[in-house]
Amino acid sequence: AEPWPENAALYQQLKDEQILLSDNASSLAVQAFLQMCNLPVRVICRANAEYMSPSGKVPFIHVGNQVVSELGPIVQFVKAKGHSLSDGLDEVQKAEMKAYMELVNNMLLTAELYLQWCDDVTVEEITHPRYGSPYPWPLNRILSYQKQWEVRRKMKAIGWAGKTLEQVLEDVDQCCHALSQRLGTQPYFFNKPTELDALVFGHLFTILTTQLITDELSEKVKNYSNLTAFCRRIEQQYFGGQEKESPTTAAPPAKKKSLLR
Amino acid sequence: MAAPLLSCWESWGLPSLHESLTVMAYAKFSGAPLTVNTINNSWRAPKGDMPVLVSEDTVISQPAKILNFLRKQKYNADYELSAKQGADTLAYIALLEEKLLPALLHTFWIEAENYCSVTKPWFASRIAFPLSLYVPGKMSREALNRILLTKGGPPLYSLTEVEAQIYRDAKECLNLLSKRLGTSQFFFGDTPTTLDAFVFGFLAPIYKVCFPRVQLQEHLKQLPNLCRFCDDILTCYFRLTVSDGR
Repeated sequence: AEPWPENAALYQQLKDEQILLSDNASSLAVQAFLQMCNLPVRVICRANAEYMSPSGKVPFIHVGNQVVSELGPIVQFVKAKGHSLSDGLDEVQKAEMKAYMELVNNMLLTAELYLQWCDDVTVEEITHPRYGSPYPWPLNRILSYQKQWEVRRKMKAIGWAGKTLEQVLEDVDQCCHALSQRLGTQPYFFNKPTELDALVFGHLFTILTTQLITDELSEKVKNYSNLTAFCRRIEQQYFGGQEKESPTTAAPPAKKKSLLR
Repeated sequence: MAAPLLSCWESWGLPSLHESLTVMAYAKFSGAPLTVNTINNSWRAPKGDMPVLVSEDTVISQPAKILNFLRKQKYNADYELSAKQGADTLAYIALLEEKLLPALLHTFWIEAENYCSVTKPWFASRIAFPLSLYVPGKMSREALNRILLTKGGPPLYSLTEVEAQIYRDAKECLNLLSKRLGTSQFFFGDTPTTLDAFVFGFLAPIYKVCFPRVQLQEHLKQLPNLCRFCDDILTCYFRLTVSDGR
């Protein structure tokens, strides 16, 4: 394996006042993945992280002279450096792992985007103030609306625009049910931690610890005790050392307060 | 209850197209009685929302909803699956939608040669004039829109780069499905289930429709177990002889 530079860094938006649910989940998933690979990164928060990223999405990592964004490409990049979590799996297990990762992207990530950009109350109370927070008026409004328009067009194209919040929550429940059944009583989805565990942890932990307008979303996850136990276990194992409270400071106490109105 | 009526496209030596095919396969697997009404010279399809199921006074579109409806009527192809297998079904359907669907849409609606010489004339001939002048173009634009919005964006700036990426994803998806199926007859053993209906719905059009440009078909034909899977379902459940149809 190639050596991993000491100054490797992961960029995301400001934790307390800016980052949104979906970006926080994606960032946490990448952090968990790198922790599982035992590759340390420094988390750097920048208000313009979204614009610094080569794909326009957070998080991205800066390693040596390379910049890579999002979990999928980062997994590939790290693999090329000689670190992999899924090498021990057989072909059928690899197919299964990829299928479940698509399930999380297809349902949980889309539901998070729906909630933060298509649910009118959430948009007004949480998303616009947070998304526009680094910028002065009227730029804050313009950028928020631009982003909202972009996400809504995407929702329309995939047929989610006509869904009600209830239907979306129902989808989340279905997804959590499937993950819960698949996990069963095992500590991880396969014999040892893989990128699937990192991805599931990133999303579920963020959903569980982020205060939104209502608790409906986190209640869906809380119904599955093995999933909450799974989150707690990974948190303790991979983020326990740094701070007593939680992974990265992006998590519960600070975040809850900042999102409470 | 009277047999529900399913309206769908009939096509290319296949009993139907992509989504309709999923529903029809599921109905065959679960033994649900369906009266199938194929669309011809239709005024009813300006939105292209096929298939549509009409049962007494309920009208349902979208395959997932139709399958749920059939399940509630006690036509369940998944009785014998364990909870974990039910979860796997959901995961693999997500894989199909994320990785295979964009390339399937592209092959039918965007690849210019395919669209002009096969898809457009075929659809135009099934839809009443003057809608036939408008609807195929609309469906093509919607497909392009979906692909660009979901798979485009930096760092993939040109359509060519996006195309390369979606075909890479689709081929990887076919390989994963082939590995998952292995040598068994269906995805969960000897009896077909929901997952088989979905996989069949995606694969059969790729496998059977004769297009001028056939990237995906060529790749699929290198995976003998998936071809065998399609042939089996076509012969056993749709009583079609295995021949290349147009």
